[in-house]
Amino acid sequence: MKFILSRPLYLVSSVGAVMVSMFFFMTLMEGGVAENMPVAVVDLDQSAISRRLIHEMQATPSVDIQVITNSYPEAREAMQQGKIYGIFIIPQGFYRDIASFKRPRMDFYITNAYTLGGNTAYKQMLTVSNLVSGAFQREVLRKKGMAEDIIMKRIQPIVVEGHMLSNPWGNYTIYLVSTIMPGIIGLIALMLTIFSVGSELKNGTSIEWLNITGDNYTVAMIGKLIPYTIIYQTLGIACHIILYNIADFPVQGSHVRLLLGLLLFIMAMEIMGIVIIGCIPVLRDALSVGALYAMLGFSLSGFTYPNMAMLPFVRALSYLEPLRHYYLIYVNEALLGAPSINSMPHSLALSAFIVAALLVAPRLHHALIHQNYRLK
Amino acid sequence: MWRYLYLHWLQLKESGSIFANELYRIFHDGGVMIIFFLATLAYPFLYKAMYWNEQISDIPLAVVDLSNSQESREFLHQLNATPDVLLAYTCSSMDEAEKLLRDQKVHGIIYLPRDYARQLADPLGQAHISLYCDMSSFLYMKGIYLSCNMVMLESMRNVQIDRYEDMGYSAEFSWELVQASPYTSTTLFSPTGGYGSFLVPAVLVMVLHQTLFFGICMLAGTMREEKKELYRLPGRKRGYSAFRTIFGRGAAYFIIYYALAAILLGFLPRLFDLPHVGDIVDILVFNVPFILSVIFMSMCVGFFIRNREAGFVLLISTSLIFLFIAGISWPKEMIPTGWRIVSYFIPYTWAANGFIHINSMGATLWQSRTEYMALWILTVSYFVLAVTMFLIAGYRQDHKESHRDEVLEADLLSESFGTVYQTEG
Repeated sequence: MKFILSRPLYLVSSVGAVMVSMFFFMTLMEGGVAENMPVAVVDLDQSAISRRLIHEMQATPSVDIQVITNSYPEAREAMQQGKIYGIFIIPQGFYRDIASFKRPRMDFYITNAYTLGGNTAYKQMLTVSNLVSGAFQREVLRKKGMAEDIIMKRIQPIVVEGHMLSNPWGNYTIYLVSTIMPGIIGLIALMLTIFSVGSELKNGTSIEWLNITGDNYTVAMIGKLIPYTIIYQTLGIACHIILYNIADFPVQGSHVRLLLGLLLFIMAMEIMGIVIIGCIPVLRDALSVGALYAMLGFSLSGFTYPNMAMLPFVRALSYLEPLRHYYLIYVNEALLGAPSINSMPHSLALSAFIVAALLVAPRLHHALIHQNYRLK
Repeated sequence: MWRYLYLHWLQLKESGSIFANELYRIFHDGGVMIIFFLATLAYPFLYKAMYWNEQISDIPLAVVDLSNSQESREFLHQLNATPDVLLAYTCSSMDEAEKLLRDQKVHGIIYLPRDYARQLADPLGQAHISLYCDMSSFLYMKGIYLSCNMVMLESMRNVQIDRYEDMGYSAEFSWELVQASPYTSTTLFSPTGGYGSFLVPAVLVMVLHQTLFFGICMLAGTMREEKKELYRLPGRKRGYSAFRTIFGRGAAYFIIYYALAAILLGFLPRLFDLPHVGDIVDILVFNVPFILSVIFMSMCVGFFIRNREAGFVLLISTSLIFLFIAGISWPKEMIPTGWRIVSYFIPYTWAANGFIHINSMGATLWQSRTEYMALWILTVSYFVLAVTMFLIAGYRQDHKESHRDEVLEADLLSESFGTVYQTEG
């Protein structure tokens, strides 16, 4: 316990890292919805109607027409340089053909090298192309003397009403920060656990540390971890208040259970820290391995790319990452507001990490007493 | 003339010895070896395995079909035929479906109201379909929304055409009315449209960038801990040798990482069957300023690291920040100006975008000249910064040492004078 106080740098830097990350992710995505994605329009028609189409498209919130050109290669080059996410082509003779009912074909090209930008552009172009047909239909029906409200019903006989549960704005920040921030806290908890135990080994002070508790390994370990746990849980609560009370991100279920999940997650990460330093009682190697393990957690947790699409063995691996379990608890509590029984398996899984700590205990205890590993 | 060349040869030899020394240190440091080799070679495979399927197919949905008619069944049948979703459960009520959603058996609910068929049969009716989506992952939402909208558009057109035909229009004219201008959409640069083809190239660049960054900072921290001279030739008391030190150590990192970069960015996209439409020579040329700029940036940061583990905590959280600030996952146009300016100082921003442009989108080096030049500018700036910092540190160290020397000399003098006085006295 004295260790932390003697090295305040680590405490400050870990609090600092959490605060910087928090600030970064909260300010990175204004509104959390992708808007004004740059696209190009290749206008081969150059008619009144194509100009009107461009004007309509420009007025939509999702896309922003950066390039208007009459050469496809030019637009494609702009895309290859990462300036635009989509190309919309209005064919030659568009006006003439549409007026003479020849059904001219519009083309659009979307980049897949940038998923979010490409998707947003795609959705908007899809809407615009349907609008073109709708507008034409309206014009014709109007000429036939139909009333406006009847025209609308004719144009859209089926309506799909989408409901995005718990995040009706489709806000990207909510879904990103809710998993990334606990992830970062857990990562730091893991690293500092490795560091604090590893330093005792490296500095050869591990015997003194054990002697304080009369060579009681368990008590020594718990004594060391309690202050860390308190610090990280406090940080976690601070983040929780910022996210769910100040920024008002949705929590359908119980705040207490979500924080309890966080506590279990932090403890599981600390335990994994002990496991790693227990398997590799060399500070520098253990730190490197710990970093690699914790970084994988972000991808494996499945909050960006769902686990169900991963290969079975990768999916199995993901359950070895505490973040995966925390993410599932979060989805259950915050997004779905489901009964707490549904998060029980994951809380239990997080608690089960303690078994791993018990497995390495004899080895680590031995290493702490004999210091029989190289220091570097 | 010969003397001049000889002097240069000597300097080069000194650089060479630093180079060899640094290589020795890298290969005798387990932690650095793990980061440099294990991480760079294992991570790409892990990520490839994670995104193996590229696409999310068969997202489970619950169906509440209160209409239970020919029309509704047809709609559901078509929806089920799309690759993205799978109608996993049929429920008799919303409560039942909501329970499935809460239990995470399904990720969305599609609800067809009782009057669905009746509205469609009515020449002026408007049928409503409700879609509920859990927001645990954006990719679920995207898959469910898109396939549902596709099917909706399709059936909507059929309904419209039927109605117009009932009004006495010809089939041809009805089609023209309903869809005056059809469209084709094409996804460029990745025919499968997969998530892996998008993310893995960016991850490859990230792995190189961060492992090199960590590794150099760890080595710098270790040197500090062992009280070795970071910014001077070993064993030298005085004089400035910042240039030779940086050159020698940089060369050691460069040789290792240029080879790793050639494997990761040149060979792996081909092995993994990721998009690789770029010219391999362009990629190899592009890697030069990429690796160099990361090396010199890391040297500048490493300068402030007092011991090996200190920077670790701070460095580790930079990975996620770098990934998002570069405008890969989140579009760069949506990043506030302040953060964008910060991103310009990070080699990853330029390297990742440049690599994606060349490798995945088939841009030439000339077309990626902005990123390429930016990396060279970063290389030169960080190099100059590193040399300056090393020089200043060397100068201050010298100053301290010479000051100490003076004090020592003065002591010696006074002692000797003392003896002189004594003898005189």
